[in-house]
Amino acid sequence: MLFQHLPIRKKLLRIILLINGIVLFITGVTFFMYEYYSFRKATKEKLGTIGKIISANSTAALAFDAADDATETLAALRTEPHIAAACLYDSTGKAFASYRAASYTDSLPGKPLRDGYYFTKLNLRGFQPVLLDDKRLGTLYLQYNMSVMYERMGSYALIIAVVLLLSFVLAYILVRFLKKSISVPILSLADTANIIHGRKDYTVRAVKWGNDEVGTLTDAFNQMLDQIHHQDVQLREFNQQLEQKVKERTAQLELANKELESFSYTVSHDLRAPLRAIVGFTSILEEDYTSKLDDEARRITAVIKGNTHKMARLIDDLLAFSRLGRQEITKAPVDMEAMVKETTHNLASQTDTSKVKWTIHPLPVVPANANMIQQAWVNLISNAVKYSANHATPEIEIGSFKHDGQVVFFIKDNGVGFDSQYKDKLFKVFQRLHRSDEFEGTGIGLALVEKIVVRQGGSVWAESEINKGACFYFSLPY
Amino acid sequence: MDNPKKHIRRYWLMLLVMLAGCMLLQAQPAPSREYQVKAVFLFNFTQFVEWPASAFDSVEAPLVIGVLGKNPFGTYLEQTVSGETVNGRPITVQYCKNVQEAQSCHIVFMNTDDAKKTKQIIHALKGKDILTVSDAPEFARLGGMIRLFKQVNKIRLQVNLDASKESELVLSSKLLKLADIYEGSKTN
Repeated sequence: MLFQHLPIRKKLLRIILLINGIVLFITGVTFFMYEYYSFRKATKEKLGTIGKIISANSTAALAFDAADDATETLAALRTEPHIAAACLYDSTGKAFASYRAASYTDSLPGKPLRDGYYFTKLNLRGFQPVLLDDKRLGTLYLQYNMSVMYERMGSYALIIAVVLLLSFVLAYILVRFLKKSISVPILSLADTANIIHGRKDYTVRAVKWGNDEVGTLTDAFNQMLDQIHHQDVQLREFNQQLEQKVKERTAQLELANKELESFSYTVSHDLRAPLRAIVGFTSILEEDYTSKLDDEARRITAVIKGNTHKMARLIDDLLAFSRLGRQEITKAPVDMEAMVKETTHNLASQTDTSKVKWTIHPLPVVPANANMIQQAWVNLISNAVKYSANHATPEIEIGSFKHDGQVVFFIKDNGVGFDSQYKDKLFKVFQRLHRSDEFEGTGIGLALVEKIVVRQGGSVWAESEINKGACFYFSLPY
Repeated sequence: MDNPKKHIRRYWLMLLVMLAGCMLLQAQPAPSREYQVKAVFLFNFTQFVEWPASAFDSVEAPLVIGVLGKNPFGTYLEQTVSGETVNGRPITVQYCKNVQEAQSCHIVFMNTDDAKKTKQIIHALKGKDILTVSDAPEFARLGGMIRLFKQVNKIRLQVNLDASKESELVLSSKLLKLADIYEGSKTN
């Protein structure tokens, strides 16, 4: 487990233990080194002193060739148990007297070597001159067993190990207590945060345990909560106000819309009555007074009749358009392919479509309002026929594809098309891209299509270039 | 004016005398191993015995080791002490013909077996700060200070402490430690 993922308590424990360990290690090593060198130095000095004493006491023995006396002198070394061996050599380098501790089994150097003491692996050994008034009478060899130093080092190591263990135990206990003042406040802060997150209650406040960093954090946390709470309240208020406003506006709009619709309905409806009168009386003129009218009068009467018809259709369309807004939409599965075929068939009885080359791809069954969607098909297909009528070989292609969870239907012709920069105007009421003497129409057809499709949850759009045909798309959810 | 031939003849004579002297020295028999050790001991006594300042004429005056009686050391004793000093004093060897000559020495080695004569000499040197040494068997009993004797192929010392105490000589405790102390004179 990575250090950064450990709980604070364990982090603390590890940090304390690490510091403890490092400090003790450094102390121990320093102590060891100091002990090692000072002990060696002290031992060397001690051995030198012992050597001097032994030398001084051996001068007469060497001078008067009294080996037993020298042996006796050396035997005094027994009091220092770490001296393993000693040997006196006379001025010719011959061994003169020797001493061996009980444990010493090795042989002694056969002749004196260079003066001075030096350390071997386990011993301090060396030679020193036996002098009498600067006259060298012989040489003394001493060997000191350094195992005592290693024993001492061993006991120091043991002491350090015990201290280390004790300090670890202490650190563990200490951390247990420290936990209360460090990790508990943080955990309580985290708990508070979780409670707030769970209940979405911004009135809850974290408890402050002390004036340390965690205390500061708690304060900041609480201040932040204050702010969030404040903003939350404000947001709710705004939201309520907004909802209220939306409601009001919607009500106003609905009212206005209703008024407008009923107005246009009434207007359209009321317009029909005078129109009927005009149609009626014009028919009377045509039928009953034909003989009394000259050619010019008859022509004018026909123009009046034609315009009256046009106006009647306009009123019908407007009525249909306004009715659409008030109709409830009921959906049922509609076989689009059958519907399209029926529409083209019906259209053939009204206008000349013999030139048109139809391509109708298989179309799916989609849930829709059959009456309304049929109206959309009629408008779109008759448009296609109308605007491609001038072409030598009009072609109309109808198909569908699926896109973004909707079915997209398209009606493509090779007619006059339109300038694509006006494509947004296409679906607006009374907006026409062509003159009415070029292509007849009321300017309501596409607006009606859009309204139908949008009311069923779809959308309408078109693509075209002038004289290169147009393609109308509408999508429906399925 | 001297005759040059006379000169040459004189040189020849001198050369002969010197050669003869050398031959004489060579002719002296080499001392036995025993006397070589004893010669070294005589020298070593200078290191372990303290003489009072009054025993010397001056600060640089030499310490004199005298040999009374027949010289058993040949030139060995002189070789041993040659170049050695004691407290800055050179050490010289003097071969004494009689007690009077011995009185100017600091150590006197008596080579005589005659007990009566020995006693006379000891008596003559008494109180003169002279370390008397001999290998005569009865030496300590006769009042001599240090007797050298042979024991298991080794030369050992026998010290008559009373004799040494009558003089102002101080024998080192180290020396006494190795020596046999003669205590017979008290009972005598």
